[in-house]
Amino acid sequence: MPKRTMQVEAIDHGTVVDHIPSAVTLRVAELIAEDGDQVFIGVNLKSKKVGNKGVVKIASRELRPATLSRLALLAPHATMCIIRDYQVVAKDPIPVPDSFTDIALCPNANCVTNHERWPTQFDVLSQRPLQVRCLHCERDFPASELAIR
Amino acid sequence: MDWPGRHVISIEDFSRDDILHILQTAAELEAHPQPNLLAGCLMATLFFEPSTRTRLSFEAAMSKLGGQIIGFSSAASTSAKKGESLADTIRMAEQYADVLVMRHPRDGSARLASQVSNSPIINGGDGANQHPTQTFLDLYTIAKLFPDRLTHDGPPLAITFAGDLRYGRTVHSLLTALSNFNVRLYTVAPRGLEMPAHHLSRAAERGVIVETLPTLHEAVQLTDVLYMTRLQEERFPDPVEFEHVKATYRINAEMLERAQSHMRLLHPLPRVNEIAQDVDATAHAHYFPQAGNGVPVRQALLGLVLGRL
Ligand SMILES: [Zn+2]
Repeated sequence: MPKRTMQVEAIDHGTVVDHIPSAVTLRVAELIAEDGDQVFIGVNLKSKKVGNKGVVKIASRELRPATLSRLALLAPHATMCIIRDYQVVAKDPIPVPDSFTDIALCPNANCVTNHERWPTQFDVLSQRPLQVRCLHCERDFPASELAIR
Repeated sequence: MDWPGRHVISIEDFSRDDILHILQTAAELEAHPQPNLLAGCLMATLFFEPSTRTRLSFEAAMSKLGGQIIGFSSAASTSAKKGESLADTIRMAEQYADVLVMRHPRDGSARLASQVSNSPIINGGDGANQHPTQTFLDLYTIAKLFPDRLTHDGPPLAITFAGDLRYGRTVHSLLTALSNFNVRLYTVAPRGLEMPAHHLSRAAERGVIVETLPTLHEAVQLTDVLYMTRLQEERFPDPVEFEHVKATYRINAEMLERAQSHMRLLHPLPRVNEIAQDVDATAHAHYFPQAGNGVPVRQALLGLVLGRL
């Protein structure tokens, strides 16, 4: 296991989300944790890659697909490790889908999706920085402006 | 893409070939009227906010092709006031009508309707977002005034946008559409109401140069088409500033004396102060014929999406 992730207690099985911007680390923890999960959170850790990062570890399980797409919106440049028997068996960037359906609200107050019960859809325009376009009102936003639900 | 059943929601959904096909179809219908083309077809006009101009133009287009019309023209008279969802209103209307023309105050409402409806939806304006039939009629007007200039090589057609270029959806859509063609674009806008940078960079990606001019005087002299838009007082935080800008952004007959003789002045209407009455009598005024071009363009769209052309 890489030394730097030892700054937060090691887990034998589970998922580690790493390289999270410190500012959104607690929101990431809130997003991925479910009732009964053991969760370990580290913030303001030093990282060569992103400067100042957060880490969230969740014991005993992997993330659901629906959680993953929300995570991609919240921390698009984070990495995710799957841990089995204290070994990292997979380490990948968070997969960013082509579009985000029904998981975020449109920041445009006059967008029809904020006035009708209707699923939003945001299509990805660029990965770095993550920019999206609302299918309905056709406005472009940085992913960080979207409220996730 | 197939035309029958196609929704007309956003100019972004139409390729250069699509646009040219619409313009050509409109020209054919204008030259050879087809009074029975849409006999037996029913168009519903769902106007959740009033727009007399757009509704009349669609109704004239449908009538001239022999079709029938039903509809409403204010949210107060619909079940939306009783809390019915937009999706349900569309599902209800498509039971009766072969094509739905809608105008709605919310951005993206027409896209939502197209996700619900099996009958084609034509967007007659969704909030501040899109008004594609206005864009097609603007292009048709320019193409008619300057035959072949949009598509041929040679000197690009000089087109100037003036007025509120920040919030004016008409100019944004027209800029997007014109980026497909051989044009040179200029802008004149009050400070704070300039064309948003992302529209400029999208045009640049397609090889169209957009240049800023300081005043209308420069624009009048070098442009082939001057496209004026309305200034809206609510966009100005300071009423004194609005009065000042209003006085500057005004074309009159005297200013037009320095224009090239073929220069034409367009405006999506209604105009308020930005074009003086004395301009109407000059050969440059072309905003009323422009509005009239809405009829053949909307005829073409109706005929195409209803599968009769
Ligand atoms: Zn939106």
